[in-house]
Amino acid sequence: MSAQPLIAVLDNGTYFHHRTLHTPEFAPYFNRVIYARELDAAAVAGCDALIVLDRTNPELLIAHRQLFADFLAADKTLVVLGESNPELWLDGVESIPCPTNFWWWLTPGADSGLRLAAPEHPLFRHMTLADATWHQHATFRLPPGARSLVEIADAGSILYEEIRPGAGRLIVTSLDPAYHHGSYFMPATTRFLRGFLSWLRESLSLQRAPAAGMENVAA
Amino acid sequence: MTKKIAYFKNWIGNGPALFASGPFRDRVSVIPLHDLEKTDLSCYRALLFSSNLDQRYAFTQRDRLEAYLEAGGQIVCNGHVVRSFLRFLRPYEVAPYQNVETLRIHPATPHPIFAGVDYEDLTFRRGVAGFYSRGSNPAPEGAEVLSTISPQRLPVDWLLNLPGGGRLLVHSGNDIWMHANDNNSASRITPQLMDWLQEAA
Repeated sequence: MSAQPLIAVLDNGTYFHHRTLHTPEFAPYFNRVIYARELDAAAVAGCDALIVLDRTNPELLIAHRQLFADFLAADKTLVVLGESNPELWLDGVESIPCPTNFWWWLTPGADSGLRLAAPEHPLFRHMTLADATWHQHATFRLPPGARSLVEIADAGSILYEEIRPGAGRLIVTSLDPAYHHGSYFMPATTRFLRGFLSWLRESLSLQRAPAAGMENVAA
Repeated sequence: MTKKIAYFKNWIGNGPALFASGPFRDRVSVIPLHDLEKTDLSCYRALLFSSNLDQRYAFTQRDRLEAYLEAGGQIVCNGHVVRSFLRFLRPYEVAPYQNVETLRIHPATPHPIFAGVDYEDLTFRRGVAGFYSRGSNPAPEGAEVLSTISPQRLPVDWLLNLPGGGRLLVHSGNDIWMHANDNNSASRITPQLMDWLQEAA
């Protein structure tokens, strides 16, 4: 088993995915880029994690419902960024549409409404609430056993982690950082990707480390 | 029979309301983007591509798109070019940001699409700059530059007229029709664009 986790990412062919995937700071996190129209079981074989970047056409993802279920069942990590309607192609995801207020920040002293739901979570050693603050297109009803990381008070989670012991880890958000970073728009989205990708790789490495340790003991 | 305009959607559903059910529904056919390869393009007076274009796919269709343009067709492209899916397109260049003047949109060659548009309405939405464009898909030689951005006056909107009557309109930003419902002069662009596409032979 190699020490480094293998992260795959779906490329929907748009300019904003292109720029996100080719940003020098982020490219090393994307060990395998899979063109979304070429997604199949062989393409994700051997990957520890698969990232569905934001704003990927749900029609295409619906066609791969079984592939995503199988990927999770194999105890892999699936990351779903915003605006790709995961409730249409993943079991157990329930989104709650909410009106998007693109302009809340124009009011002096305005509150985005966002809160860290689990400030002690390791993700927040890599990023702050401000790095997740631009606007939201939806919230999610938290599945039983899942942990909300960022939420809107009384309105649902906008970023959660669901660890299904032995049956995968699902990270879902309604934030759309690749679109905005890829459009050279809104610096928080660049900071979000910086922190999130750094944490994701670290968490995957830690997942592997105990297993490697056990192998050593057994040897 | 008058040819329709094809809007290529790269999203679930019936396409944007503007074209699928709104004021232009009778002029526009909404077609799934990835059906482009089996679409007889000669049946359409214009092809509209949103900024959500799968450019990897469009690149595989380059020969057909160029043949369509050379035969007198019209193409409208939005977004940032990252793949040269037409030989006239070169990669997008972001305007190096210094201050709000970097994001100011300037008129260049007057054109019916922009008639009556106050460029202040393109530079600012609710006082915020940067929605209309943040850079440039470089214009090829011979193109007519319709609007520019930043003190360097980088081309934002440009039009290339081809010898066979074909026309390529490129907008370096979010979809040019996203201003259709703005409460200011920017809302003039979409109907004027649609009329301009309609009047071509």
